[in-house]
Amino acid sequence: MIQLEVNDVSKQFGGLLAVNHVSFQVQGPELIGLIGPNGAGKTTLTNLLSGALKPSSGTIYMNGQRIDVLPPYKIAKVGLGRTFQVTRAFRRMTVLENLLVPALAMHPTARQAQFVKKAREVAEFLTIDHLLNEYARALSGGQQKLLELGRLLMLDPDFIILDEPFAGVHPRLMEIIYEYIIETNKQGKAFLIISHDMETIFTLSQRLLVMAFGKLIADGPPEEVKRDPAVIEAYLGSDSDKPWQPERKTPPAAGDRIAA
Amino acid sequence: MRGTMRRLKILTWVVGTSFLLILPWLIPTRMHVAVIALYYAILASSWALLAGYGGQFSFAHMAFAGLGAYTAGLIDKFIRLTTAPTYACTEFPLGSWWLVIQDTASPTCLDKAKATMPMGALIVKLPAWMDILMGVVVGGLFGLLIGALVLRLRRTYLALFTIAFAEILRTAINAERDITGGPGGLKLSPLFPNGVTLLGHEFTAADKLPPYLVMLGLFLLVMALMYWLAGSRFGLFIRAIREDEEAAGSLGVDVVRYKILLFTITAMIAAAAGGMYAHYVRVIAPNMMVIKEMSVVIAMAVIGGMESLLGAAIGAIIIEFALEQLRSNITIGAFTLNMADWRLVVFGALLMITLRFWGNGLIHPIIQRITRRGVAEETVAKRLQPRAATEPEDDTRVKIPASPLEPDP
Repeated sequence: MIQLEVNDVSKQFGGLLAVNHVSFQVQGPELIGLIGPNGAGKTTLTNLLSGALKPSSGTIYMNGQRIDVLPPYKIAKVGLGRTFQVTRAFRRMTVLENLLVPALAMHPTARQAQFVKKAREVAEFLTIDHLLNEYARALSGGQQKLLELGRLLMLDPDFIILDEPFAGVHPRLMEIIYEYIIETNKQGKAFLIISHDMETIFTLSQRLLVMAFGKLIADGPPEEVKRDPAVIEAYLGSDSDKPWQPERKTPPAAGDRIAA
Repeated sequence: MRGTMRRLKILTWVVGTSFLLILPWLIPTRMHVAVIALYYAILASSWALLAGYGGQFSFAHMAFAGLGAYTAGLIDKFIRLTTAPTYACTEFPLGSWWLVIQDTASPTCLDKAKATMPMGALIVKLPAWMDILMGVVVGGLFGLLIGALVLRLRRTYLALFTIAFAEILRTAINAERDITGGPGGLKLSPLFPNGVTLLGHEFTAADKLPPYLVMLGLFLLVMALMYWLAGSRFGLFIRAIREDEEAAGSLGVDVVRYKILLFTITAMIAAAAGGMYAHYVRVIAPNMMVIKEMSVVIAMAVIGGMESLLGAAIGAIIIEFALEQLRSNITIGAFTLNMADWRLVVFGALLMITLRFWGNGLIHPIIQRITRRGVAEETVAKRLQPRAATEPEDDTRVKIPASPLEPDP
């Protein structure tokens, strides 16, 4: 059972408090969305969780182990994996090599050949199996996102952070990513998904965290969060009396365009 | 496809090694150049492993070669094994032998002690291979120390730090004239002081073939070691680190550990080459560590192809021979070009042209063309293959692998 505890975590860059005393807990395989306006501190928070940044104050525990003091590779071994806002495929390595890196890092005594079949299965699931021997730089942006997800499947973490998984992705690939999240969640993995695609994130998430100016301003089921006055203020401004509706960011289907 | 590639690789190695083995009979008068070319090939290919594979731009590679050379030289000059104590020098018992460290006085403590030592007491130098081995250990220790100090920092700092280290080491060796000989150099005994017999043929200490074969042996050993490393998880991880340290760390790769390990291993290889070189040329001077020498090694790796160990080695061998060839003056009409001075200009121009038009070097793309032959066609063929044909009829997609990290039985 996955347990993540974020206790009063802050991160300061000079005079800027990018994350301001944020606390929340994850119990079990939850599917959590993390939203907020630009500059709200979402990516900083994920960097704190994955060890890319160290908190200025506060503690983070995963499965009873304090992880905010650990280097990123140890946090990965504890069971936390992530993707990045801008894809970070190992561009001058083949797709297969990209997939083998996490598997071999997690199993220091296993032989490379043991994971090749698994890598093929993962690539097949993500529909990039025909590209296994190609360099990652030859892949499209969307395919590189799929490759990042594939690396996470090979890493096999309990808690997965996806930073903007749907940004700039073709609707067909978006569907694959969506399916990846649902299927992996069914296997007992917890997700924290940052996205500006409000319609998708509201549909996908069981729980939403909302950040603004470094603070966690709301935490609850999507329907509840939608009506939260603090969220409405953060997205629409303090003088708005309209109920907030998530903006549709996904490209319209072909039929919609014809109808328009 | 993989079987063919494997056979091709083995064939390349067999042909390449055979060529290097018969080279002394093809160019008997150019053996010195051949030995030096192999020395540079070891340095350029190990630097390619460090910078091309690992993305660590170090300017201290020649300093590590110098460290190996000077360690071998200093052991050769100051350390002796005796069968009796001298009671005059610093000495340590080693079983039935004594390890004696001579002083810098003239005559040395050992020279003075000879009069009082028992008749028939043996005084011997350590064999050259042991000097070289000690140089490798010292190179590795310095590599580990510098790696631990600086590799947590970003790449620019590594470059600046290693330039500083190389210059400090060179200046210190220059300054310590009593110990190192300063700019005047340090003399060493040859690799085979008493000559050697090979296949019934006796070679003197001055003959070039035995040192050529030893340097070739070291080159082949180093290449085999580096290829094994590059093909292992170590190679995979250092390339991942080169591509993106943060991403590699987030996937469970201990970035600092692998960077330090890579730096230490390549420092040891450079030190081994330096130690061997020192015993071959028999006089070493601090100018073997100047930045210009480092630039030559970098240029050889860049022109050959930084991301290929073989490319960098071939690049080094070709360039060393070309540079020697270019020493002869060129006369065009009444105008004579002193190529001894101008050859480095030609070399520099070649480096700039390579960087501008062939970022991956001149040899590496050829190797890539051979080793990656058929990949694009394979991709297209797989893409065109109807997906449904390989899938169950009731499902349009393959199911997510249940537990991807369970190794196959």
